[in-house]
Amino acid sequence: MSVGVRIRPVVSVARLSVVELFRRRDVYVALIFALVVGVPLLGANVFGVEGAVRYVRELVLLLVWVCSVAVSLTTAARQLPGEIQRRTILPLLARPVTRAEVVVGKWAGAAAASCAATLLLYGCYAALTALKSGGGGAGGWGVLAQSVALHLCAVLLICALAVLGSLVLTASANVTLSALLVAGMLLFGSRLYELAAATPGVGGVCARLLHWGLPHVELFDLRLRVVHGWEPLGAWVFVAILAYGLLYAASLVGAAALVFSRKRL
Amino acid sequence: MPAAIDAQCVCKTYPGGGRGLADFSLSVGEGEAFGFLGPNGAGKTTFIKILLGLSRADAGTVRVLGRDPGETAVRARIGYLPEVAQYYEFLSARELLAFYGRLSGLAARQVRERTGPLLELVGLSEAADRPLATFSKGMLQRAGLAQALLHEPDLLIFDEPATGLDPLARLQIRDIILRQRQAGRTVFFSSHELSEVEMVCDRVGIVKDGVLKWCGPTREVAGDGERNLERLFLEVIGAGPGALTAPESLRL
Repeated sequence: MSVGVRIRPVVSVARLSVVELFRRRDVYVALIFALVVGVPLLGANVFGVEGAVRYVRELVLLLVWVCSVAVSLTTAARQLPGEIQRRTILPLLARPVTRAEVVVGKWAGAAAASCAATLLLYGCYAALTALKSGGGGAGGWGVLAQSVALHLCAVLLICALAVLGSLVLTASANVTLSALLVAGMLLFGSRLYELAAATPGVGGVCARLLHWGLPHVELFDLRLRVVHGWEPLGAWVFVAILAYGLLYAASLVGAAALVFSRKRL
Repeated sequence: MPAAIDAQCVCKTYPGGGRGLADFSLSVGEGEAFGFLGPNGAGKTTFIKILLGLSRADAGTVRVLGRDPGETAVRARIGYLPEVAQYYEFLSARELLAFYGRLSGLAARQVRERTGPLLELVGLSEAADRPLATFSKGMLQRAGLAQALLHEPDLLIFDEPATGLDPLARLQIRDIILRQRQAGRTVFFSSHELSEVEMVCDRVGIVKDGVLKWCGPTREVAGDGERNLERLFLEVIGAGPGALTAPESLRL
């Protein structure tokens, strides 16, 4: 198997995935999610009441995360199984394209569509909070920009996780396990190290392994900073988290390419 | 004549012990039209997958157009029409060709220039912008043929191209394949249709249980004579003339 990945086939495969999402009207799911995000904000009378503003921001940002994770997982999880089930994979791989390029293209297509959906949700959030609280209501714009950038990085990672899972698990098991992992890490990821330190013996070793091995999705979640209008992250911390996310996503996509290169078609 | 396909002592076993190919050797010259016959499960698709680099032989050597079939570059010179025409139903025929053209390394201008005449050739000009979801099986197969010919490949591999098609669609597909053969392209043609093979191919190979049982010129077994292709096929696969006789209980 050729190890190199060329841009042109990757872009072609990714573009096909995005076209498919539009033509199959899957993009409407993002619009429905945008409504889900928008309705609580439109309905809430938060003008001038600081506590209520924070509450609504928190609720809406939680919805943005839930919707974004759902779109990312479901989109990425069906890319390669879809190709295999409808047998379009054979004429595709009969072209001068490597299996690694197909995997990267499928991941890139799913990630592009999911990032676009996430940006749409943040757009709704920013526009509506600004509208409802007379400008500046979205939280500090600096921290919001960081929040969006890190969220998009998390989307890349989540899509990579789902693409890898789609090659080793059934569709439903993949989406369920990936969703549990992402939710688990968002809720308890920051406590894993404390748990490892507090647990003696084999349990502690396992907790340490989980701490170092699992993707720390919670690092990409700046909701609290946005809600409370805290200062943005320091530049180096921000860059380090971005680098961590990109490296982790690249590792998962590389693992998916390896698994797919050995898969019998 | 240099070999477009050269397979020597190829073995392929599937997980679970299923035998795909056993000590399989075959050589197909450049510009030759070769018919690849065999009953279901004989190993035809396994060999085609090896030729396309979709599967690897456990033992033996395979060269396609002088190169290892696992090399990406060699696939730029191969046109493949799969047995079951499954393409992206949300694309139109024109978009499908544009997609495969880009993957084959063609420039956008080349794809545009070739798409019109190709769709004309396969009789899909009027349906060029309709989604493939609305195509009949025959139309899908013709779209598949167009994608296989788009990059003007040196070697065409057709895996049972006429399966499930009506007589008119078969005739059209056969006509297109004959034109490719006349244009000097190597055609490797797997089929259950003995008459198709007889009309299209220079040589025929019959495979059974992963072993090439017979290989020779089509003219030796053409026509309705004593040794025609149908009789030879039945003889080689071990069915014999009795296989065509219905049991007593089923006779009217």
